[in-house]
Amino acid sequence: MRNTITTILLGAIFGGVLIFSDAFNWYRIQEMFHFKSFHMFGLIGSAIFVAGVVTWVMKKAGVKSINKSTIQTKKKEIRPVGNTVGGFIFGAGWALTGACTAPVFILIGYQWQIGVVALLGALTGALLYGILNKKLAL
Amino acid sequence: MEVLPWYIAGPLIGAMVPLLLFTREKQLGLSSSYRYLGSFVLPKNSYFNYQRVNDAWQIQFVIGIVCAAIAIFQLDLFSPEPIEFNEGDVLNLPNVYSVQNWLVFAIGGVLIGFGARYAGGCTAGHCIMGNSILSVASIISTCMFFAGGLIVSHFVLPYLFE
Repeated sequence: MRNTITTILLGAIFGGVLIFSDAFNWYRIQEMFHFKSFHMFGLIGSAIFVAGVVTWVMKKAGVKSINKSTIQTKKKEIRPVGNTVGGFIFGAGWALTGACTAPVFILIGYQWQIGVVALLGALTGALLYGILNKKLAL
Repeated sequence: MEVLPWYIAGPLIGAMVPLLLFTREKQLGLSSSYRYLGSFVLPKNSYFNYQRVNDAWQIQFVIGIVCAAIAIFQLDLFSPEPIEFNEGDVLNLPNVYSVQNWLVFAIGGVLIGFGARYAGGCTAGHCIMGNSILSVASIISTCMFFAGGLIVSHFVLPYLFE
């Protein structure tokens, strides 16, 4: 129960920051892909930097989690075709909708018809991946 | 309300990574929520027949995002300011979120869902989490996210919104 509430709260903060920083906005994403503003690059870059430094320090200092376990991170396996072809396809969707995974959920609150359509699309895409999974190169 | 500057918003987003590790021992990611939801639709499919309980936290995280979005927009706490592109640029279209553009969002959605699962992560899992621990898969994926986005934004959108 405590875990659930904590996670919902963290999600709400994450969503709130993405909204107040305008990162869910289709026009903002096109502005990024046209290199017309530093906003999104600064946002993503500083997020990676802070995440990396704080996580590194926590692990070095041996900070334990709330449940007193050692904090571990695991790198995702490399999938030569998946990372490149899948990544490219994801990027194409990012530009079309002006949204990635979290902003698709934000759109439900912003313009619900478009948000629901985009989310149903994303779930359909994931189902397609599940169906084709075995036939796709790793 | 003014747009939150990147040097405040970025670190707050980055802080989610250590916070999730500390409170839930989970690595930030969002697109596994699609796999979780898919497991109810195609329970017998080998990809969706998995220990979904490990991904349940992402649904809780997503519920938080949706609740925040509904609250913020219902209370009118934020509305994006128009962004100006070059004169004559199709990107100056007045309201891309108009319902008549639904097909663009539907197709874009399919590409997001398929691409994120094929790449093994999205902007959260690869771009922020993976890059922050210097994961090679994430660095490759992030470059390809941008490659796909650049090409579509520059060369496909002009035809769609002509």
